Amino acid sequence: MFDTSILLQILWTGIATATYGVLLAAAFSLVLKVVKVWNFAQAGMMGIAYYTLYVCLQKAALPAALALGIAVLVTIGAALLIDTLGLRTFRRRKSPSLTYFIFTLLLSELVQYVLAMIFGTEPVSLAATVGSASTMIAGVIVSRWDVTAMLSTLACLAVLYVVLRRTRYGKHMTAVADNPELSQLYGMSVARIYALTFALAALLVVAAMYLFGTRASMVPETPLRMMLAAVIAALLGGMDNLIGAALAALFLSLLQSFSVLFIPSAWQGLILYALLFITILFFPRGVKLPRRNARRKPAAAAAPSTA
Amino acid sequence: MEYFVSLLVMIGLYVTLSSSFNLIIGYGGLISIAHPVFFALGAYTTGVLSVNTSLHPLVTIAAGGAVAALASFMLSLPSLRISGDYLLITSIGFQLGVIEIIKNLDFVGGASGLSGIPNIVETHRSLKFALALLLLAAAVVLFVRKLTRGPYGRAIRAMRDDELAFSALGRNAMNIKIAIFALGSGIAGVAGGLYAYYYQYLTPDQFEILQSAMILTMVVVGGMGSVFGPTVGAVLLIALPEAITFLNLPAEVMGPLRGIIFTALVIVFLFLRPQGLVAPRVAGEAQ
Amino acid sequence: MNTVLSIEKLNKRFGGVVVADNIDLQLGAGEVVGLIGPNGAGKTTLFNLISGVVPADAGRISLAGKRLDTLPVYRRARHGVARTWQHMRLFQSMSVLDNLLVAGSQYPGESFWRLIVAASAVKAAETHNRDKAHAILSRMGLAALANANVADITFGQQKLIGLARALMSDSPLLLLDEPMAGVEGSAYDTMRKIVAEEAATGRAICVVEHNVSFIRALCTSAIFMVRGRIVERGGVEALLESRALAELYFGK
Repeated sequence: MFDTSILLQILWTGIATATYGVLLAAAFSLVLKVVKVWNFAQAGMMGIAYYTLYVCLQKAALPAALALGIAVLVTIGAALLIDTLGLRTFRRRKSPSLTYFIFTLLLSELVQYVLAMIFGTEPVSLAATVGSASTMIAGVIVSRWDVTAMLSTLACLAVLYVVLRRTRYGKHMTAVADNPELSQLYGMSVARIYALTFALAALLVVAAMYLFGTRASMVPETPLRMMLAAVIAALLGGMDNLIGAALAALFLSLLQSFSVLFIPSAWQGLILYALLFITILFFPRGVKLPRRNARRKPAAAAAPSTA
Repeated sequence: MEYFVSLLVMIGLYVTLSSSFNLIIGYGGLISIAHPVFFALGAYTTGVLSVNTSLHPLVTIAAGGAVAALASFMLSLPSLRISGDYLLITSIGFQLGVIEIIKNLDFVGGASGLSGIPNIVETHRSLKFALALLLLAAAVVLFVRKLTRGPYGRAIRAMRDDELAFSALGRNAMNIKIAIFALGSGIAGVAGGLYAYYYQYLTPDQFEILQSAMILTMVVVGGMGSVFGPTVGAVLLIALPEAITFLNLPAEVMGPLRGIIFTALVIVFLFLRPQGLVAPRVAGEAQ
Repeated sequence: MNTVLSIEKLNKRFGGVVVADNIDLQLGAGEVVGLIGPNGAGKTTLFNLISGVVPADAGRISLAGKRLDTLPVYRRARHGVARTWQHMRLFQSMSVLDNLLVAGSQYPGESFWRLIVAASAVKAAETHNRDKAHAILSRMGLAALANANVADITFGQQKLIGLARALMSDSPLLLLDEPMAGVEGSAYDTMRKIVAEEAATGRAICVVEHNVSFIRALCTSAIFMVRGRIVERGGVEALLESRALAELYFGK
């Protein structure tokens, strides 16, 4: 029915454009897993990262490496502020989850408005020119951006994997994710682990926003919408499963890419929301991939007491 | 004078919206940001009906409320079946998704909006609408007061305190939550109907996330879970931006500035005075 | 004797642990059965299985002939299962009286429709519940506490209120989870008196207790559970003198 090269093209470009979504889903899922918070402030972090990069690259004409470095510092700083000033206060007060939600969501909106005030609502891009050098391979247009995106995403995920599985701090993060009180007793500083988690998430966010901005442009309200995709991916992947979230993000992105074949473009934006509903209805605990350990605590009303 | 009256219209509208939202989030404990979307559904239903039929305004407004209440089931039933936290996520999706649908639907005018809603009041337009909305607001506040002081309020409090123990007493907690959600959303829908007749022109942008932030701010700052808190919050937050319009800033700055004020205010209150300006009544005095 | 509660081949495991092992149990009106056994024997779990807090893996639970095991918690309660909790689970933000009023068996005031159209019925139910609550409080000698907040009364009084709350619905089946634990003095005597009175009215009562004198005084029979299994059942004295029981509790 469709030309193979078209399908291949969509597949290739789909994977390429899935890259930043995967990183964002990984960041969101990481914070959810370790800090156990739906970090809606990630959209704020995304906005800060993006516009810092914009200022460095476009306004100050700094080299990419330096711009990235500055953006990383700024975003990590912002993330740490969110955690240490904001979330820690609520943790200490044992605030209800409503408070976390209001705080993180409104923080993102505050960032959005501040950015709108400073930078206006015209779309801005990080790249000097739209489109990059490209070649044709097997009937598929392969651009340099595509390759850069895929390689750097794989690199980021690999680094994330190594950090989580092989380093001491990474293992502590997993321990704190499973049982913060016990971890505290074993001498791990839960506060420091939370801070580290946010820093890692910030790194992923900066990488994702750089990739996004060098391909497309953005306005201050874009991050909130992008974040919704990360939220759905985290839900689909199972809420403490980073690999699941990353794969779900890839799947979602490919689904959106391939949907052009079937759905008029006007309705494309709805796919995400339709998927959200389908997820909630049929996969509230995430899609069950075979996992090494099934340690999910369901949102049950009460744990049985022993007698 | 006209300016003052239009301010009253806004106050009536937002007291209604914030009180009905407070019913859902403050009393019911249901975390949802989807209130503007029910406001929108009510407004659009009324708008479409008034443009295409010759039904009486009271009928179209009631229809708006009904559609909003029915739509709320679409959100509450699947989400609450799982847990309250899911409602939060799905409400975000619902809010963004329905607005997206409206932008793409031609018969409601799409992104360019629905216009041509007939004028139903000949003279003293603003004054009559202000009166209608203020009356609606007063009715809603008094209704919430009556509801929460009686056996229903008691049941809600028990449900919030310990849902399992509440269920073990034979109560269907799920039904209560769904009913509260439908009630609050239905009220927002009715407000939407009046809004449609007042402005006579609806666009999807009027119902976006900024509205969520505004209403949430009014409830949090005013005092969640108290009868008059949202009223205080609404009045304060309508008056405040009006004060800054006198600064005569350009429009591109005004919009974001209002947003900044709302969001920053909530965040400040979250830290300094989480119970809001009007703290809820202490339990045990109600009877 | 009419059977109020009937449990057949009830099974439940959590992961690898069997918490209910082929439980068979019949409880008749007016019977007071003591459920004894070491901690972790599955006694509270059994209550959770009966009341619906935990779904069973297999088996049947019937109340007066009506099958319960397919029903959610609130429906089972409406059919006639009333219980108290090990950790009381009183409604902390409310007064003693409100805690009882919420537990009434008639609540038209919780339906919007009836609030509007049947205001007099709502009022009547409210009065009825109020009278009943005051009656129970008087029986317990706690009438003075009606308007106190539950967080402010003593532990023993809280346990009594927990029991009072369960009594508001006049349910045929009453499950009491360690009602005596931590209770002493006058509260203890009141508790004993009330439970005896309720048994005399024909309720079927099942009590999880470690307190031997309570079991001796009030229970018509006893069941001994270990690790999810019913090990022995029968007359109270016989069971209490059983060697197996002593060994399990105190070791050889």
